[in-house]
Amino acid sequence: MVTANETMRINLGPQHPSTHGVLRLELELDGERIVSCRPVIGYLHTGIEKSMEARNWLHAVAMTDRLDYLNPLGNNLAYALAVEALFDCEIPERAVVARVLLAELTRINSHLVWVGTNAMDLGALSVFLYAFRERELLLDLFEEMSGSRMMTSFIRPGGLQDDFPDGWMLRCERVLQELPPRIDEYEALLTENPLFRQRTIGIGKLAADDALAWGVSGPLLRASGVAHDLRKARPYCGYERFQFRVCTATAGDCYARYQVRIAELRESLSLCHQAIAAMPGGPVRTADRKVMPPLRAEFQHSMEALIHHFKHYTEGLRPPAGEAYVPVESPRGELGFYVRSDGSGRPVRVHERAPSFANLQALPSMAKGMLIADLVAIISTVDPVLGEVDR
Amino acid sequence: MTAPDFVAAVPGAVHSVGRDGIDTVHVESTQWTELLRAAHAGGYTRFLDLTAVDDPRRAARFDVIATLHSPAAQRWLRLCTPTAERLPSASAIWPAANWYEREVFDLFGVRFDGHPDLTRILLPDDHVGHPLRRDHPLGDEPVDFTVTRETDAPW
Repeated sequence: MVTANETMRINLGPQHPSTHGVLRLELELDGERIVSCRPVIGYLHTGIEKSMEARNWLHAVAMTDRLDYLNPLGNNLAYALAVEALFDCEIPERAVVARVLLAELTRINSHLVWVGTNAMDLGALSVFLYAFRERELLLDLFEEMSGSRMMTSFIRPGGLQDDFPDGWMLRCERVLQELPPRIDEYEALLTENPLFRQRTIGIGKLAADDALAWGVSGPLLRASGVAHDLRKARPYCGYERFQFRVCTATAGDCYARYQVRIAELRESLSLCHQAIAAMPGGPVRTADRKVMPPLRAEFQHSMEALIHHFKHYTEGLRPPAGEAYVPVESPRGELGFYVRSDGSGRPVRVHERAPSFANLQALPSMAKGMLIADLVAIISTVDPVLGEVDR
Repeated sequence: MTAPDFVAAVPGAVHSVGRDGIDTVHVESTQWTELLRAAHAGGYTRFLDLTAVDDPRRAARFDVIATLHSPAAQRWLRLCTPTAERLPSASAIWPAANWYEREVFDLFGVRFDGHPDLTRILLPDDHVGHPLRRDHPLGDEPVDFTVTRETDAPW
């Protein structure tokens, strides 16, 4: 029995469909109002960072896929950039532009999952089905190019694992052309929907100052009115050559986050078109033999190629001793790998700066004073991926 | 690239630029709080990351590394200090440091004095050991009822 002035403590999660994985929240409730909220994480801790230390530099690429599993290519990219910063090697132009294309395709993929699950959390099941239908088109592209729908491991230190298959670019363009009317469809279902607006407007407000103090990044920060996007603030992969705008909103509530992500979907589509139009020919793997092994065809006429191949597959990559951190804009915010090498074939340390980890830490300040039902909307708009929170 | 202005104010702080182009400042652990405060006052108001690297061969075995960002200058900053086991907490300066310090405590066993809630964050509360220490075994679980364990293979 709870008497009039007493608060009640309950657990939300870890096995709760609205927690987007295995997040547990210890709630202190006054009726249905949240007095305090304490996230308890770690249910998905798999010791990936420890495993990376025990394997070689290339094996770690496959593990980055499993961190933020909605953004595998973005994780590959962030890791590759950090390792390349240690080597200081030249990446072929085709690989650089292809990376932009792949990073933006993954952003679309991730935001589609977000639009769908967010709407589903608020009771609009059909949006979920539509968004996943469109996501399937992108996953098919990833599968055709890398052999895997989600765990792509396609962007490697030194470039890409391989070039795109014949006709892939055309099929990609066809998919991109299909998407804008579909996004209009989601908007028709949600943007002016009174139920959706009621559940999101004024809910889970995060002021810009708080967002900055909590180290929040990505759409969550931009929805609070801070126009901070690493693609503009610290351009990598030649983003400075592309035309796009930083999508922001000012309200800082759940609806603002929805607006930002929908706008980002459209910006990413435009970036993909630009990348395809600007895609140069040439190799996608660096010629620096210390970073990438030669192709098998070269063994026929080059003893050196064979030696490099042997060194790569016995010792692996050997980045010069040092440390590096290269932040990139993932669909969730600032993602970066802190890597440290002692010059050997195994990393001394690989640490992921996971955007979801910092964003989730700000959850209690957004949830305070809200209803339990609002909390579901808030968790969803924070968009945490527990794979990278718990690592 | 020149050092950020606040570095000169902290005695013993050594500035360098990493291969990734990020300003890096090394200090002794006794100067850690002073460095953090100076960095915060110098515009590095966003706390992005905190992690550690272990080298059990050294007496001060952990390098604790903080990554900060200055929204005004759009510069990133890496602060680094060696420590044996204890450091003052940064969570009074940046609330965001809270979980990061818990994580470093959980996985490395570095204690942060003055932290409001220094408990394990990723591992269960009753877990023994700090797995990201280099001398912590990668770990495998003994499998019961296998033929090869504790028997002399007869063949």
